[in-house]
Amino acid sequence: MLKNTKCECGHQNPVGTVLCEACGLPVHPEDVQSDKPLEMRYEGAARRSQKSNPNILDRVWNFFSSVKVAVYLIIITLICSIIGTLLPQVNVIPSNDPASYYATEYGWIGELYYALGLADTFGTWWYKGLVLMIAASLIICSLDRIIPLYRALSKQQAVKHETFLRRQKVLYTGDVANAEAWLGEMEAAAKGRRYRVTREGNALLAEKNRFSRWGPYINHIGLIILLAALLTRGIPGWYMEQGIALKEGQTGPINGTSYYLENIQFTEVKEVGPHISGQELQFAFETEAVLYRCIDNCHNPLSEPILEEVKQHTIKPNEPLVHEGYSIYQIDYSFEPQLTAITFDIGAEGRSLGEIKIELADPAFFYPVGDLTFELSGYYPDLTNVNGEPATKSRQPNNPAFIFDVQRADGVEESYFVVPLEQFQTRLKGSGDAEVLQFEIADMDASRYSSYMLVRVERALPYILAGALIFLFGVVLGLYWQHRRIWVRIDGDQLIVAAHTNKNWYGIREELAKLLRKTGIETDAKSLDNNGVTKK
Amino acid sequence: MARNKWVQLTILAVIIAAAVFTVSSNLSAGSSAPQVMDEAVNFSLYGLDGALHELDDYIGKPIIINFWGTFCPPCVREMPLIQSKYEEYADSGLVVLGINLDESTVTINHFTQGMNLTFPILLDKNVVRKQYGVYEYPTTFFIDEKGVIRQKIVGEMNEGSLPSHDIDLAIRRLLYG
Amino acid sequence: MSVEQIESLIDLSSTFLMVAFLVYNLSFIVFGIAVLGKRWSNRDPQSHERRWGTIGLIIAIVGFLSQAAFAGLRWAANGHIPVSNLYEFLTFFGMMVVLAFIIIYAIYRKPLTGLFAMPLAVVIVAYGAVFPNAVKPLIPQLQSIWLYIHVTLAALGEAFLAVGFAAGLMYLLRTVDFRDKSVSGRRKIRGVEVTLFSLITLISFIAIIFIFRGAGYHAEFTQTVIEIDQTTKQEVEVEHTVEYTLPPIFKPHNSVTVEMQSFLGMEEPLLEAPSWLNGVNAGRKLNTIVWSLALGLVLYGLLRLILRRPLGAAVSPIMDGIDEQDLDEISYRAIAIGYPIFTLGALIFASIWAHQAWGRFWAFDPKETWALITWFFYTAYLHLRLSRGWQGEKSAWMSVIGFLIIMFTLIGVNLVIAGLHSYAGV
Repeated sequence: MLKNTKCECGHQNPVGTVLCEACGLPVHPEDVQSDKPLEMRYEGAARRSQKSNPNILDRVWNFFSSVKVAVYLIIITLICSIIGTLLPQVNVIPSNDPASYYATEYGWIGELYYALGLADTFGTWWYKGLVLMIAASLIICSLDRIIPLYRALSKQQAVKHETFLRRQKVLYTGDVANAEAWLGEMEAAAKGRRYRVTREGNALLAEKNRFSRWGPYINHIGLIILLAALLTRGIPGWYMEQGIALKEGQTGPINGTSYYLENIQFTEVKEVGPHISGQELQFAFETEAVLYRCIDNCHNPLSEPILEEVKQHTIKPNEPLVHEGYSIYQIDYSFEPQLTAITFDIGAEGRSLGEIKIELADPAFFYPVGDLTFELSGYYPDLTNVNGEPATKSRQPNNPAFIFDVQRADGVEESYFVVPLEQFQTRLKGSGDAEVLQFEIADMDASRYSSYMLVRVERALPYILAGALIFLFGVVLGLYWQHRRIWVRIDGDQLIVAAHTNKNWYGIREELAKLLRKTGIETDAKSLDNNGVTKK
Repeated sequence: MARNKWVQLTILAVIIAAAVFTVSSNLSAGSSAPQVMDEAVNFSLYGLDGALHELDDYIGKPIIINFWGTFCPPCVREMPLIQSKYEEYADSGLVVLGINLDESTVTINHFTQGMNLTFPILLDKNVVRKQYGVYEYPTTFFIDEKGVIRQKIVGEMNEGSLPSHDIDLAIRRLLYG
Repeated sequence: MSVEQIESLIDLSSTFLMVAFLVYNLSFIVFGIAVLGKRWSNRDPQSHERRWGTIGLIIAIVGFLSQAAFAGLRWAANGHIPVSNLYEFLTFFGMMVVLAFIIIYAIYRKPLTGLFAMPLAVVIVAYGAVFPNAVKPLIPQLQSIWLYIHVTLAALGEAFLAVGFAAGLMYLLRTVDFRDKSVSGRRKIRGVEVTLFSLITLISFIAIIFIFRGAGYHAEFTQTVIEIDQTTKQEVEVEHTVEYTLPPIFKPHNSVTVEMQSFLGMEEPLLEAPSWLNGVNAGRKLNTIVWSLALGLVLYGLLRLILRRPLGAAVSPIMDGIDEQDLDEISYRAIAIGYPIFTLGALIFASIWAHQAWGRFWAFDPKETWALITWFFYTAYLHLRLSRGWQGEKSAWMSVIGFLIIMFTLIGVNLVIAGLHSYAGV
């Protein structure tokens, strides 16, 4: 059955309108009879979500358009977030085996927590789903409201139906002798308080701060931008996180990129006082670092990468090295003194034949000295004895041992086993008469600290920040200003003044009282309250 | 009216697309290491032979991937056994890849020559190890022709004593199902 | 600067804090005179209230300036703004509550709000004083301009939300019918009583710590904990020394008493913490919580015995004479001011700093997540109030719960839940 939506003022309203777009008279007869305050939300305009006979598409739309649903989503997300803080999440536990870690550390609670997926609450599909639903709600509820609201507010008129005025929450009725003069005073008073005044005959509309109505929509847009920016993290190349640990003097690859990083030197500054505590406290720590780009032989353990220097920077907390979207942060360090290189002076019969320098991380095979060729054919970084055979205990050069194959110019081949830190060496193979070569330690390079750094790419960040700031702007716009409107209608000598605001009724009552006082009408702000709802 | 319905549909389509994108990028991030019955993650590493080896090149054959180091006594102990099995099942097309755990080339070379290892030794610098979630050594993966991990043995393998760590049993299960 | 100079600056600053604390209490009393003395004054009640209210405000401002001096001197001594540990942050937060109150008072001029806001500030400052106040240099991760911006704005935002809570509590005390025997009526009364009981427990905690600290109480235990060594994956027994500053009702799980001063004839710890509370500090924290709850119950019980009715009912009469709509308005306004400041300080600037320091602008660590939880809550508050008409009592309840969430963020997260962000514990 088609409902008649043509108002008695002559205006044709779209289906679903609550208040006539022109004169404000309620469209439905039942609403006209009631004496409760008018439902002024969205100017009583027709909204998509208020259609009758919703199909499946409409139902979904209505669901996400509802503020009640939005609040439920927020509260549910809030509760899920709380659950995610009860036990430490997987990304911070000191273990590679989360399943057993939670069980052993926290007993059956931990086991259950892990089994339910709560150990990574914020990465689960349902948590992301909640955020996605909030995003859907943000988009749909804003679209549903902003278009009708904008249209309604843009084509307002000053002349409103008497019923519309009498059912507003702020109302003054009285007599006025000279309509024209009074309206003039009212206009002046309102303009004095920065209202924009429109007059149509004996009707007046004073409006201010309409922009604050857009506040909520602007803040929603800000949040949508923020969430969309978070989504872009999935785009290849927009997000990366890679740890890198370097000893002093070491150059290592940044996995996943063509960059290499060198730790030239690590400095830890500890200061004693001038603090009463008298303790030696950590004051600063930093890595002097160089960033390289690898041009050739990259990620090939068998050959030296060819590097081109890109940037130098001293990396410290709060001061990352930044280059083309890559940021390198100083996260942590440890004092792990370690040898990094040993230089041997090769002697024979008291005279030095030359020097060879061995890099202990990944030594080279061949070392020419004069007319001798040294080949490093065996290397035990941490020498130990396993069933009488030499072996290595670990990968750290705590007690390096070397097997050198020496080829002399005359073709004689020898073999030496050298353990510098134990001051032990022996000739494994060689002719008895040829002089025994002596390996003397000429120099040792060491690293005192290992520096732990984090390489990050976060291309979405400026957009996330933009979204957040737009959000804040919208919040401030919406919360700190109120959209106020005052309608005046004079019929003969009967004066009706009604007002509406989207928030802070206290304020508009005070302001209207002040305005009325300026026109010579003495009222008390409280008496303007026409709420109609009985208070406790 | 019809145009407005299209607006609604477009918006919902965008949101569904975002959802799909989120879920798929979450899954493909591949943060968790492949377990038994998962597909083996592809990798490419340089070998001691100087060539670049890619796992995908070997898929189609039964593959054993052994993570080892000379600093790890059980890894050293099981190596001769692995080599002998490699020779024994060579006719069946068994591929063995020994992935070394971040040691220097000199050390590895010395060891493999001393042991006369003939299968490819690949040089990993903490990349593939992390991809495969290997934190205890040795760890051995048995991969079938379809590229699916059928078995993972953590610890020293043997022949004829502990069935859970019996390499021969594992190979035969791999080859003959 | 020499150690002596620094020490003297710190001593001087402590004096200013003490002065501020006392002045805040004085301000509270003056506001009490303003509100309660109306009946006995021979002046017209309105002007009496206004006059004493202004005096209360001026005293509050004096207190604020004194605490600002405390902060300034400590800043001079230490070289950085004093918000780097829990003691400094909480005292600063108390100062911000006074500032928020002053601003709200300037808008609304209701002395009754001073009667609730000032004690709130007093309790917060006292709570802060419980924690270690050693002067230390900033650890490198905190050496950033963002320390100044993020922490101060977060504190200011939360301070306004706290004033919103005070006004919300006042609203409930004003409107809840303490004689209502219906189910919903009794639920509301219980809610008010629980809120007041929580405040009493917090005050008990502070009182207990200071009493036993003043008496110099000390007890020591050696606790044996079974930990799993991450490298060998073996279970090892590790011994820890646990020190108590309160008499042990609960000694740490699986521990041996090394020394214990007797208390009220108690020579041995009464009970032992259960096995599932086997963290190193868990026993001590359980003990502290039990002491606070016990004294809180005792105090609450005593008050109820003396007053012979719910505490809320006893306080409620002083609320006569204030329009509850005004209280609703004040509560909302305070939250409306606090919300954007909190969003900016505790979330936006916090993320920017996190990115600058650690490379991750958001890691869902407990403190960050609880800030987000707080934000979610007040977002729901605003939606319910502005779009669903949740004004008056519902709004007041939400402001109370919101403050609970904030206090958990400050207390619970720092002390109970571990994380990158945590401060020290008691």
